[in-house]
Amino acid sequence: MTLLQLLVNGVALGAAYALVALGFVLVLNATAAVNFAQGDLVMAGGLLAAALAPHLPVPGILLLPAVMAVMAGLGLAVCAAAYLPLRHRPPVSVFISTIAVGIILQNGATLLSGPEPKSAPPLFGGGTLEIGGLVVAEQSAAIVVVAALLIGAQQWVFARTQFGRRLRATAQDPEMARACGIPVTAMVLATFAIGTACAGAAGLLLANQFFVTPTSGGDLILKAYIAVTLGGWGSVPGAVAGALVIALFEVVVSAVLSYPVALAALYATLLAVLVVRPQGLFGEAARRRA
Amino acid sequence: MTILRRTVRATAMTGALLAALAATPATAADFGFPVLVPVTGFLSLEGTSQRNGAVLALRKAPAGIGVRSTVIDTGTSPETAVTALDRAAGGGDPVLAVAASMLGTQMLAMLPLAKEYGVPLVTVSGTASITEQGNPWVFRFFPGDAVTKAAHARYVVEELGKRRPAVIHQTTAYGQSGQAHLKAEFERLGVRPVFEEGVDASAKDLLPVITKALAAEPDVLVLHLHSAPTALFIRQAAAHGVTLPVVAGSAMHQPSTAALLDPAELKGVCAETAASPVSGGSPAVEAFTAEYRAAFGTEPDAFALGQYDGMRMVLDAVAGGARTPDAVRAALSAGRHEGLAMTYRSDGKGNMAHSAVIVCYDGRSRVPAIAKRYDDVTGVLK
Repeated sequence: MTLLQLLVNGVALGAAYALVALGFVLVLNATAAVNFAQGDLVMAGGLLAAALAPHLPVPGILLLPAVMAVMAGLGLAVCAAAYLPLRHRPPVSVFISTIAVGIILQNGATLLSGPEPKSAPPLFGGGTLEIGGLVVAEQSAAIVVVAALLIGAQQWVFARTQFGRRLRATAQDPEMARACGIPVTAMVLATFAIGTACAGAAGLLLANQFFVTPTSGGDLILKAYIAVTLGGWGSVPGAVAGALVIALFEVVVSAVLSYPVALAALYATLLAVLVVRPQGLFGEAARRRA
Repeated sequence: MTILRRTVRATAMTGALLAALAATPATAADFGFPVLVPVTGFLSLEGTSQRNGAVLALRKAPAGIGVRSTVIDTGTSPETAVTALDRAAGGGDPVLAVAASMLGTQMLAMLPLAKEYGVPLVTVSGTASITEQGNPWVFRFFPGDAVTKAAHARYVVEELGKRRPAVIHQTTAYGQSGQAHLKAEFERLGVRPVFEEGVDASAKDLLPVITKALAAEPDVLVLHLHSAPTALFIRQAAAHGVTLPVVAGSAMHQPSTAALLDPAELKGVCAETAASPVSGGSPAVEAFTAEYRAAFGTEPDAFALGQYDGMRMVLDAVAGGARTPDAVRAALSAGRHEGLAMTYRSDGKGNMAHSAVIVCYDGRSRVPAIAKRYDDVTGVLK
């Protein structure tokens, strides 16, 4: 029963991490650039939700679209300021510019909202459900459902719509996409917007149960990076799987070992995966594409 | 937006205070008291409290004394702190004392420069080693772990009568230091914790450690965690129906930590701290709290009060005739100061604070009451 309880918590945490990793991998695929500001964008989404909550006293599920919309706008701004002017420069330029964006977001958040930890409203309710002896926080259940819906919707857009096909074409070969008449710059902007909206959603989901501070982003970008490396560089299903693996180590393995040992075991697993499958768990498709 | 309004108000107030301080007409006795604290980075919550306490104290300059003060953000790196000290004290302007970072690594880096410039550093850093360097220029107005953890363990054993504590601490330097002092103090009291485990500060779900701690059948949960992890632990424990008493570290006393929890979740929770200004206790403390709220739009904590008391002792020394950094150092070393949080006096190494309190929440409010006071605590020195 305890194991089941821990699994439920682990899946809920993994679902939120998956949204963080998803935004990261989307931008990575579209621009071949690592967006080191992704963790701080998640933090910004959480603080935005916490700031909006007193003025829009509605459940988090109704706040979610507003947060995602504002964050999408922020994503456009980040793209315009930190990526587009540098896109023809060596990749390291974009690395540095996104690190700078992260620092600006972190210090801006400290200035605007103060250094105190904040909590965003729950998606539906803040209580717990007791199911067959399992105590499941309503927020945990809601996180799993909402994250699954968002990831599913995104997969549908990418796989089944003309817009999604254009985004994928831009990600696969920008020059060829441009030659085919696809507005590559607009597609890159859209990718940043979607990726940052995902960050905003993850921020709102995480900030209720686990709180958010202006310095929360650093740890999240590390987890997104590990998830993408573990799952396969550029693979969306891999990013989701990687995020779940991280959460299961943090919640389930740490219940058997200690938390520091569980983290060490996670890194050891990451190294083992990279030795056996350097392309990551789901990296094959990405390799073919390259 | 409330947060924005509050931030603008606090920023404007801080700016106005500093501008007023800086704009004090130069007189024959015009001295600098720079405030070098971390207001960004992982210690920004505590650093902001420290800044606010120093700024509030410096508003009340002794008659005939001009106070010049600037706040410099030291961030999180030792290099930044050293550069800030060099900027503030190395320029030739008369600086009598510095409100210095509460981040231990920054203090350790600043100490040699403070000695070279001969300027007292007044801090609320809890890092034990800053007063173990043989440097006569450092003064700590916050009880170290030897004091607070002694009070923490004594309350658990002597007041609650618990003999089977489960100790959950952070894996950071802060957490390890607290855990070591708790362990030593419990040992001195003849109690062996039934469970001890470190938790990474970034851990998002604390159910694993709660599960393991409960499996050891403790009779009390003893925490030494940072602010957000403390709130997370208490929330998750409450959600899973844990009814054991919780005696937490000083992070719990911070109003911003209590704000994350429902009052009902706080029932049965106590915490050690140097002081709890929001709990009142005397008209002077209540006046300080009201003034702090008006100035910064937020609640004061023990760090703010400790730094306030420290800078007030410095200004009292100046009012008493100290006109050089060395005279201020001598006054801090030999003097005794009736502060708002406690009575301060140096132990010869610069440790000025020797008291701690235990505060407890009643489950109906987020404002704790002082349950027990421990004065002249020496604790188990590491």
